[in-house]
Amino acid sequence: MTWQLDLLLLTLLMACAVVAVWVRSMIATVAVLAAFSLFVALLFAGMGAPDVAFVEAVLGSAFVGVLLLVAVFATGDRPAGRDRRAVWIAGPCTLLFAGLLLVASVDLPDRGDPDAPAHQGVAREFLERSITDSETPNVVTAVLADYRSLDTLGETLVVFTAALAATLVLRRRSTS
Amino acid sequence: MIGRHPSENVRVVAALTMPFIGVFGVYVIAHGHYGPGGGFAGGVVLAVGVVLARLTIDPKLVDRVFPPIVGTLALVVGMSVFLLSALVPMLFGGQLLDYAAVDVGSATDSRRRYLGIMIVEFGVGAVVFGGILSIFDRLSAQVRR
Repeated sequence: MTWQLDLLLLTLLMACAVVAVWVRSMIATVAVLAAFSLFVALLFAGMGAPDVAFVEAVLGSAFVGVLLLVAVFATGDRPAGRDRRAVWIAGPCTLLFAGLLLVASVDLPDRGDPDAPAHQGVAREFLERSITDSETPNVVTAVLADYRSLDTLGETLVVFTAALAATLVLRRRSTS
Repeated sequence: MIGRHPSENVRVVAALTMPFIGVFGVYVIAHGHYGPGGGFAGGVVLAVGVVLARLTIDPKLVDRVFPPIVGTLALVVGMSVFLLSALVPMLFGGQLLDYAAVDVGSATDSRRRYLGIMIVEFGVGAVVFGGILSIFDRLSAQVRR
């Protein structure tokens, strides 16, 4: 991916984040967050991760937008009152956290570096053997549903439990 | 906002695109072996198709095609399919989720694992579809009143 495109997408991301906080109407915030997700999806696609980009585009920019809109309609479009003093606490905390992330990112290997630790261990085996082991050219699917299917089972249980819990909490609220 | 959209154009376009979204969702789940996607993304696409119907078309009509129980049902069925199929290889003396151990028919080991991946993908797809739909249905029930 060319660095100019990277830079453009990252700038748009930052702009979306700032606008989403700045805008007064909740519905406008939801729309801007959907655009934010779309730019994240494009960034993932540029990094060569189409599976993640697909999920981000469908879930982040299509469905979460609808869900947030329904939530806004259920609770009413009241912009929260801004407390000016909160900036003095939130600002330094955000800057500190961003600084920590930047310091940590120095030690990360370059993107696509073949000598990165993540590409050394068992990943090479998966890449070489996924077709002979399971006739699956898409290694991501082979890893998710075959080599690491116990993790997927756990994740699915988490999704199941979360959906059930959210449904039950909302059902109680609507009957009372 | 939910159901009965005032604009005829929106309703017709939504009704026309809905079946294609559904077919694309199933394609994404079943085609996870070869292209991007799989159970999670496909389940979300399927759920978005139904959510589109819920948002635009008359609730009475939609409830006849997708009754409110569909979300919870898909959630439970998907989870049961995944969990029970995970246990099947243990009946054949293999390990949990090791589909190559299922000694039925004349398929090769790699073919059995291929089919096992398919079962896992459909289970995950059903769970994601059901989870999203049941949360949306519960949340939108509070708007309708």
